[in-house]
Amino acid sequence: MLVNLTDNLTKDFWNDLVKPFEDETGIDVKIEGPTGTNVGETFSSQLAAGTAPDVVQSIFPDDQIAPEVLDLSEESWVEDTPMVDTYAIDGKRLVAGVGSQAQSLVYYNKTAFEKAGIKATPQTWDEFNATLGQLADAGYTPLQTAGQWQTGLQLQQLWHPTLNTEQPEWQSAVADEKLTLGDAFEPMFEHYATWLGDGYIKKTDVGLDPTTADANFMEGKVGMYPLGSWLVASLDNAGELPFEVGVFSPPVDDGMAYPGPQGATMASPYMVYAGSEHSDEALQLVEYLVTDEAAIESQLTADGVFRAGAAVEQSPVATEIQAVIDEAPALVAVGEGAGDIRLPVVGLNDKFTEIVQSLYTGTSPEDAAKALDDWAEQNG
Amino acid sequence: MALMSASKTDSPPAAANLPREGGARPRRTTGRSSGSRPRTSRWVEASMVLPALVVFVGLLVVPVGYAVYYSFTDYNGFPTQTPEIVGFDNYVRIFESADVRGSMVVTAIVAVAGSMVVNAAALGLALLLWRTTRFTAFARVVMFYPHVLSLIVVGFLWSAILGPQGAVNSVLENLGRSPLPFLSDETWALATLILVIAWAQFGVQLLIYLAGLQAVPAELLEASRMDGANRWQTFRHVTWPALAPSVTVALITSMISLLKTYDVVVSLTGGGPAGSTKTFAYQILAVEFPKRQVGLASAEAVVLILVAAFLAFGVLALRRRHDQGAQA
Repeated sequence: MLVNLTDNLTKDFWNDLVKPFEDETGIDVKIEGPTGTNVGETFSSQLAAGTAPDVVQSIFPDDQIAPEVLDLSEESWVEDTPMVDTYAIDGKRLVAGVGSQAQSLVYYNKTAFEKAGIKATPQTWDEFNATLGQLADAGYTPLQTAGQWQTGLQLQQLWHPTLNTEQPEWQSAVADEKLTLGDAFEPMFEHYATWLGDGYIKKTDVGLDPTTADANFMEGKVGMYPLGSWLVASLDNAGELPFEVGVFSPPVDDGMAYPGPQGATMASPYMVYAGSEHSDEALQLVEYLVTDEAAIESQLTADGVFRAGAAVEQSPVATEIQAVIDEAPALVAVGEGAGDIRLPVVGLNDKFTEIVQSLYTGTSPEDAAKALDDWAEQNG
Repeated sequence: MALMSASKTDSPPAAANLPREGGARPRRTTGRSSGSRPRTSRWVEASMVLPALVVFVGLLVVPVGYAVYYSFTDYNGFPTQTPEIVGFDNYVRIFESADVRGSMVVTAIVAVAGSMVVNAAALGLALLLWRTTRFTAFARVVMFYPHVLSLIVVGFLWSAILGPQGAVNSVLENLGRSPLPFLSDETWALATLILVIAWAQFGVQLLIYLAGLQAVPAELLEASRMDGANRWQTFRHVTWPALAPSVTVALITSMISLLKTYDVVVSLTGGGPAGSTKTFAYQILAVEFPKRQVGLASAEAVVLILVAAFLAFGVLALRRRHDQGAQA
């Protein structure tokens, strides 16, 4: 099984996760991490080389991958797995997951907010701007961002509720040529350019690795930190922090209902390779991973994953995240989209990060938006 | 003062008739010309060449052949898709894409600037470590050590040292100085990448230059000293000409190696900031392959092979012309 390896999801974690399955069935599960920069790249290479794994975790099906993986629609155990129909392509359930990860969250330092005299979390962008100023005046880093893959992701996470309120299923709108990527994101590029200019975001963040950004927030130097729900696992593992952590949904434009739709992704998605010589065993393994209570609990707690009805003891931060999810009017697809709601172009996240990073190095929001449109045109 | 040259035409008279190390050996006479060898002898010779030929064809010709074939198709790399011929579309896309053109420029800068830094550092250190003593033997091992490290590890290592909150900037901050944007400014990041690669790679070039220096005829150096040449004149007119073949090899190997820069980009900069360190190899492996554009990635790989071959043959041709000029 090819899996994603992160600070939370280590090789030991995966081996421990499948151990009961191995003991019960006698099936030997070999865990392998990505040999390239990520699971998607590795899986593509392995498919080309004819060495694809029986099961692949952490990536989602698209039109090209769909013929390469088994259709799980006939498997009865898939029925109650989270977001299974959101990711279905042409009605085919090709992927099964453990839960969902909230993407549009802003973690904040409650102590910093108190010291800065901030009474309530911001609900509009004007209030958010004021909050940034108050945090800066109080001596905190107002907004923590990071380099590598995180630069583009954080901007998307902050913008999801506004964008999805203004243009529901915006990926389909881009596919139908009713909206361009540049138009969709230029307003948020303008916010970022303003914050960079005002020093609310450090320009040097673009060279910062995400783990260090996590550490900065946990050290209490930072006011707000946009990230997905997986951060909760790191926060829970960090033990006693020098401040209390809170979570809120990103702001929306004036006049929009708050909170806006919450970006969400299927967590720990599993697919079975259609060419597998051990497809029965692979199906058994995926069934175990997405239905066994102990396996689910282990995965939920390891990586900040949420699942309705799961009896998992939650930390106070996780409870706040659950409340944000519950209050959201809808859970919506993020990035390139999911299932049948997808952009007409692949590879958005890497290019998006590159373009957002260019804001840190002096590109104007207009030029950044144009670069996004040019890329979509050249690669669509 | 007449300085001596290391060219063949003016070798020391005393050494002219002596067999030289590495020179042509006298041909053995067997009393039988090669044209009259028995057929079994030819079969034996062919059978000895065959294993190497099979390995060469299997590991080099076949993969390159596949890359060339795929470069003319829309193949996505998946076994279920039958590649369809698209002509030169992929090659046209390479030169139409701003991303790919940008990565070509970055690669050219890395290859040219990097090979200059690598070779300057390697040659300078080789001259310092030329004479064999206990210290220089130890220093040679130390200098080669970075090359043993995986480039992925090298990238992470230098990221921890040069990152915005890395060791260097922490020291600067404690001293009340502004941090330096090693990895957060486009120009700085590219310069940092080149220097880190040079640090990691110059070990091999150092060995090439050290080997070259060992082959500089001692009698020429002795003669130049007796003629009153100073150190620079000795280097310029004796050592440097004798090192020319080593320089050619070191330049070609370093440039070809730098054209393929990938690993250290992944772990040091991730191609950023804003794509400023995205090399051509990174574009192929981390951008096109994950997007399953195997046809396009193959076309890019073919272009890379052609550029590397052009560079290698170009440098060799220049060197040959220079040698012919020197002999004339």
